[in-house]
Amino acid sequence: MAAAAAATAAAAASIRERQTVALKRMLNFNVPHIKNSTGEPVWKVLIYDRFGQDIISPLLSVKELRDMGITLHLLLHSDRDPIPDVPAVYFVMPTEENIDRMCQDLRNQLYESYYLNFISAISRSKLEDIANAALAASAVTQVAKVFDQYLNFITLEDDMFVLCNQNKELVSYRAINRPDITDTEMETVMDTIVDSLFCFFVTLGAVPIIRCSRGTAAEMVAVKLDKKLRENLRDARNSLFTGDTLGAGQFSFQRPLLVLVDRNIDLATPLHHTWTYQALVHDVLDFHLNRVNLEESSGVENSPAGARPKRKNKKSYDLTPVDKFWQKHKGSPFPEVAESVQQELESYRAQEDEVKRLKSIMGLEGEDEGAISMLSDNTAKLTSAVSSLPELLEKKRLIDLHTNVATAVLEHIKARKLDVYFEYEEKIMSKTTLDKSLLDIISDPDGTPEDKMRLFLIYYISTQQAPSEADLEQYKKALTDAGCNLNPLQYIKQWKAFTKMASAPASYGSTTTKPMGLLSRVMNTGSQFVMEGVKNLVLKQQNLPVTRILDNLMEMKSNPETDDYRYFDPKMLRGNDSSVPRNKNPFQEAIVFVVGGGNYIEYQNLVDYIKGKQGKHILYGCSELFNATQFIKQLSQLGQK
Amino acid sequence: MAVDITLLFRASVKTVKTRNKALGVAVGGGVDGSRDELFRRSPRPKGDFSSRAREVISHIGKLRDFLLEHRKDYINAYSHTMSEYGRMTDTERDQIDQDAQIFMRTCSEAIQQLRTEAHKEIHSQQVKEHRTAVLDFIEDYLKRVCKLYSEQRAIRVKRVVDKKRLSKLEPEPNTKTRESTSSEKVSQSPSKDSEENPATEERPEKILAETQPELGTWGDGKGEDELSPEEIQMEAEIDSIHQLVVGATENIKEGNEDIREAIKNNAGFRVWILFFLVMCSFSLLFLDWYDS
Repeated sequence: MAAAAAATAAAAASIRERQTVALKRMLNFNVPHIKNSTGEPVWKVLIYDRFGQDIISPLLSVKELRDMGITLHLLLHSDRDPIPDVPAVYFVMPTEENIDRMCQDLRNQLYESYYLNFISAISRSKLEDIANAALAASAVTQVAKVFDQYLNFITLEDDMFVLCNQNKELVSYRAINRPDITDTEMETVMDTIVDSLFCFFVTLGAVPIIRCSRGTAAEMVAVKLDKKLRENLRDARNSLFTGDTLGAGQFSFQRPLLVLVDRNIDLATPLHHTWTYQALVHDVLDFHLNRVNLEESSGVENSPAGARPKRKNKKSYDLTPVDKFWQKHKGSPFPEVAESVQQELESYRAQEDEVKRLKSIMGLEGEDEGAISMLSDNTAKLTSAVSSLPELLEKKRLIDLHTNVATAVLEHIKARKLDVYFEYEEKIMSKTTLDKSLLDIISDPDGTPEDKMRLFLIYYISTQQAPSEADLEQYKKALTDAGCNLNPLQYIKQWKAFTKMASAPASYGSTTTKPMGLLSRVMNTGSQFVMEGVKNLVLKQQNLPVTRILDNLMEMKSNPETDDYRYFDPKMLRGNDSSVPRNKNPFQEAIVFVVGGGNYIEYQNLVDYIKGKQGKHILYGCSELFNATQFIKQLSQLGQK
Repeated sequence: MAVDITLLFRASVKTVKTRNKALGVAVGGGVDGSRDELFRRSPRPKGDFSSRAREVISHIGKLRDFLLEHRKDYINAYSHTMSEYGRMTDTERDQIDQDAQIFMRTCSEAIQQLRTEAHKEIHSQQVKEHRTAVLDFIEDYLKRVCKLYSEQRAIRVKRVVDKKRLSKLEPEPNTKTRESTSSEKVSQSPSKDSEENPATEERPEKILAETQPELGTWGDGKGEDELSPEEIQMEAEIDSIHQLVVGATENIKEGNEDIREAIKNNAGFRVWILFFLVMCSFSLLFLDWYDS
């Protein structure tokens, strides 16, 4: 049993750690990295393409790159000068243009030695192209190592990953669901997704059991992934799942479960207005790859006529795992976040005062004889204060960061009345009675057209029976008056018709929100978080459709929704088309992958769900990460056809 | 798990070679390929920047090995249960300290030199950045090795102080403390130890009183660790300032001499002018008297 526990622990090493370790090993010339405090410095240059950049930037900061000995990091397709006597580490995707550029580099003899690392596996013919160029440039010995890294996915959190950021139009919801897609295009899209998922499982070091719903894009992905895993396992010599990584997968009852779902199961969640910190930041601000870009207007210019326009400073912040406040509060409801920032600020001020007090005590030295005896224990205090100074400064920086971000979010909330929409949508989705009719809200002059469209779409999606024609016309007219584009509605109608044929629309479970009335002031006057007029809504735990499906599959519950899901086990020798799961035990680890796009609301929901269960882990992945604005855009493009 | 396909790559190289030979395509080299590589490499300026950087690194490596080698003896020799083999006298330790310091100074000078030269002939921004970063790495390496050294020193000093504290009695009044404090502070840190030993014999109590607060700040030797490369720099600066001051004093002395000379000359000149004017007026008077 101890071995099994160790195996669980190994399997639960977060995907972020594994990817970081793999990257560090690659940067260390593919030799495992050992920290040596008196080691000689070794320097190198890192060359990446945009894919590589997206993979590295959430995981390693520039300082960490420096620590690994990287003096310069450059884009592959930029102008690069020859730097003699320095080894270069390449981290690129094996595409045609990248290979051409690399061959050009070899011909121009830019660096002393080349360590080539390909993000996903390179084909034999492309490898020969490079060999050709190396021969032509007489640089064969300079190419020191060539590796296939199998890192073709982006890890954003310890338990969340995304497939790609650069070419996300290729695998977007729209690309998969558009009516005029050809078979070959679909194949390419599926291949891209499967390649990334395969790389993910190689890095994770486990072979999953796959379950997916029938008749969707997810099924196609599952079939291909199963085939690819199976081929790789059969090839005993080159199998990627042997060696020390097998430790995690050796005990069959510890294998993870991969649940492939399609976005079409639940279109309401991406449109939903949200109330937790991370999801709000993603919804309202410009948030990519853990980086927030804020535009701050630097105060109002007082001169009336001929006034200069408000200067907007652009600031960007990285929200990283080192940021303890973020890790603790990214799933909390927004008012809680505001309170916590205030608390952190107060505790920081208290510590600052403590240090100042010590400083004044130190000033007594030399004047008072008695002070000398006090010195020894004050010196101890001083040393501890000095050593805690960097910590204090870091804390201050984080508080500033979160104050800025939260203020920006709060402004948006107040301007767009997001709390009202949130409450209303929760009521719609839980089918409780509505105190204000939908038409009233839509015809209300406040509120952006986009928010109203979202609200209406959610209503449309979650009603059991479609509204009558007259009602629909009324709504449409109100929406057009408010300035909304009606294309998304077209698409949703089609979707609804389609899913009605397939199965009953998903219900969202019961939920209640308890508005704590209009909170006039949550903070004291010194703070900026005056939450006047913003309701303090408390979220009650609800399970989104995706979470429910996961729950059923993981706990082996029988449920009409999930009973006819297909079952694939790449390790089984024979055919794979049995719908009868061989494994009767509940799974300890699961990976949920949404084909067609996901968002932070689902992620947060899954995290909350798994918090209640001891010893179980969930990883959430999606082919792309979009917020409601982007999703509406895609829907309207689909509706236009 | 990354897959090493270097062998696959080499195999593809062979395949391409044979294919090209079969097709009769002229490869850029062929038999002379390897020779060509060598030729191509040598006329390239072998980057004396990087070779010198590597030299500095090997120097620092030697220093590190030297320190590590003697570290055990350096520290352990205080335990008198050790055999004669492991003992080190204080003079030997001072010798090590001095050597290490000279080494560190030369290394940091070399780094400074490299820094100034690095940006001279190069126009490319990337190469400049690269070189700056390389020099930063080397400096960091030097700092880490210096840390080894200062840790050792701190332990040694601490032991000396502890020993004195245990063997001596009550503290003296403050006035003598202040004296010794000022005299101690003027002397530089490397010679502190050697001065301390004779000084301790004469004025044991002062050392006790004034090292107590100092010990608090040294505590775990952390402060000293971070300061020793700066100490070396400060020493160098103090030396140069001393030289400058001496030169300036000399100049001023000479200047004073010149001024005195000038004043004297001025005075003599005035006398002659007055004499001349008086003679002229007398001669005029005489001529006037003679003529009338």
